[in-house]
Amino acid sequence: MASLVAEAIQAEIGATERWPDNARLFQPYQVEQITFPDYAACLSIKTLLHMCGLKFKVELRANAEEMSPSGKVPFLQLGAFLISEVEPIIAAVKTRGFHLSADLTDIQKSELKAYIALIDNVLVNAELYLAWLHPETLEQVTKPRYGSVYCWPLNLILPWRKQREVKLKLVSLEWADRTMEEVCEEVHTCCQALSERLEKQQYFFGSKPTELDAVVFGHLYTLITTELPNKAIADVINKFQNLVDFCTRVDQIYFKDLNNDY
Amino acid sequence: MGTVHAKEPEKPLNVRRSANIKNLPVKVEKVVIDGLAKTKDDLVVQLIQPVFGAHNFEELIFTSLEVKSTLDRLGIFKRVQMTIDTSDESFGNDGYKILYEVEEKRTFSGSVNTLIGNNEGSLLFAFKFPNLFGRAERLSMEHTYGTNNTRGFGVELEKPVGGDPDTRLGGSVYQTQGEYPWSGYKETDRGVSLDLSFPTRLGAHGVKWAGEWRELKSLSRSTSFAVREQAGHSLKSSLKHTFVRDRRDDAILPTTGTFIKTSQEFAGLGGTAEFVKGDIELQANKSLFLDTVVQMSLAGGFMKSTDPQKEIKINDKFFLGGPLTLRGFNKHGVGPHSNGNALGADTFWLGALHLYTPLPFRPGKGGFGDLFKSHFFVNVGNCINYDYNRDVRDNARLLGENVRLAYGLGVVLRLGGVARLELNYVIPKWLQSCDSANPGLQFGIGLTFL
Repeated sequence: MASLVAEAIQAEIGATERWPDNARLFQPYQVEQITFPDYAACLSIKTLLHMCGLKFKVELRANAEEMSPSGKVPFLQLGAFLISEVEPIIAAVKTRGFHLSADLTDIQKSELKAYIALIDNVLVNAELYLAWLHPETLEQVTKPRYGSVYCWPLNLILPWRKQREVKLKLVSLEWADRTMEEVCEEVHTCCQALSERLEKQQYFFGSKPTELDAVVFGHLYTLITTELPNKAIADVINKFQNLVDFCTRVDQIYFKDLNNDY
Repeated sequence: MGTVHAKEPEKPLNVRRSANIKNLPVKVEKVVIDGLAKTKDDLVVQLIQPVFGAHNFEELIFTSLEVKSTLDRLGIFKRVQMTIDTSDESFGNDGYKILYEVEEKRTFSGSVNTLIGNNEGSLLFAFKFPNLFGRAERLSMEHTYGTNNTRGFGVELEKPVGGDPDTRLGGSVYQTQGEYPWSGYKETDRGVSLDLSFPTRLGAHGVKWAGEWRELKSLSRSTSFAVREQAGHSLKSSLKHTFVRDRRDDAILPTTGTFIKTSQEFAGLGGTAEFVKGDIELQANKSLFLDTVVQMSLAGGFMKSTDPQKEIKINDKFFLGGPLTLRGFNKHGVGPHSNGNALGADTFWLGALHLYTPLPFRPGKGGFGDLFKSHFFVNVGNCINYDYNRDVRDNARLLGENVRLAYGLGVVLRLGGVARLELNYVIPKWLQSCDSANPGLQFGIGLTFL
């Protein structure tokens, strides 16, 4: 509770200053360390910042997760303030005057919130499920990557500990007992909803990008491009051609054309 | 009391019959040890051998007392009593037998203690098996629960080597958890260690290997970024040698004697922490007129990373300042800081000059009052990061610049022969802007001091 208040106060104080020149985004090593659920979150934030046209520097740290105030990556350093995780960062960017969804109607704004919540509840959990509970992916990809920066025996202990933590979280959300098919079904329903909202538009709310576009791109792009032993979730997403096209489009505009790093 | 002497008591005290016990030939024919149950015979048989080497009565007394003391130090007997008697089955007049009556400690003992560390109190729950397999193997299990969120758990097994109670080999497994608010972090350590301690004519040595997994976390959102950057996991595998030579008459309020303590640590036998570290502490005491004692102490330390790519982490660094070391400053209040968090440094030196006197007007003299002393002191020191872009002479000059100095007076209380409590009025005279000073009254309690 105290930290919630502190966060609110920090966001308020932070708002008096515009975007600092030395904004830094901290995340684990991209090539060898980061797990794909974390990568999806990092990509969402990077896309958001690019959409706002904000300058920032990506800092790769092996201990980014332990450095983060909430224990989760990515986290953003704005002057003296540290903001971690996707939603607080979206809020912090907004309070500094970079509000992508400012022009939306109230109904659209609440719709936007609902879609972001949908992604949080479905795609994020599906990613965690695939990364940490699907045995093949866990042993072949997630554990070796998560432990890659540590020496023996920490490279065995720490992934094991993290797996236990994620599993507990998924148990409490009643995701742990699901089968891969059930998870794919959830993802299918979620994509269906997103696909129907997007239709043939360039972005989810017309011709201008919003926070939702950044978050959807971060997750879908990660899920369809990451090489994994199990492609079931990627196959589900690939069935929705307009979502795949959307990913290609955002990738082209905000990364390839601007020569930005992922 | 009501005793009526029919005649003068025999032998008035002022008449002494002298016999030179050096010339009294002795042959120890028998040693009886009574009361052994769990303890294995071979351990005790080995320990009593010296008494058979006694040739005269003086030697007999010395060696048998030494054996008694050795048996005591094994830590497995509650009580050891010794009787020297003439032997019954003796063929001559010089046959003796020695009877040691021992009472073994219980197989298992449990205790709850309150501990006072450096400005922290904690509860210690301990279980001990003093004599696990009958050869003085001691197994102890401990759990500590402290006021500053310190938690600890440890299992230790140690045994005397070759029956010598002062040469001990031990191994332990432990987990400790502590908060370091002055530096803005908390740490959980899990480790295993092996150590060997042995006495020599010069002093006591200890050699210890420890393999430790250390987990560092920021204490709060306001933790300085310089500390936050060091959060995470590190593995330290280090070999440490310590040497202590204590020739003082008391560890807490000595009146005479010297004390030397050095430690050398090499970290980097595997693991991610790689450095060499050494520190030394010297102390000399001298009694002056009117029960006053002057005490001079000097301490210093240096560490260097052996891998130029890696910096030494905050939990291995030296810190300076506190109510029992560099008085007049808050705990770890001297040296590099960032946003109020002490970062520590890799070089330090510290000097202290104390003048101890009895309390004014000497209340409680010869009893309770002797636990107290008043003292006047001057503390000086500095703590900096060694600058490898400069040469040694430049660095020595830097250590000599911006020196911190504090002086004051106060009362010292000796607590149970192991700890001390100080209440001082201190004036930090020389300080730097980064320091966290504590002028005026300062209270300190702890086991280590300078």
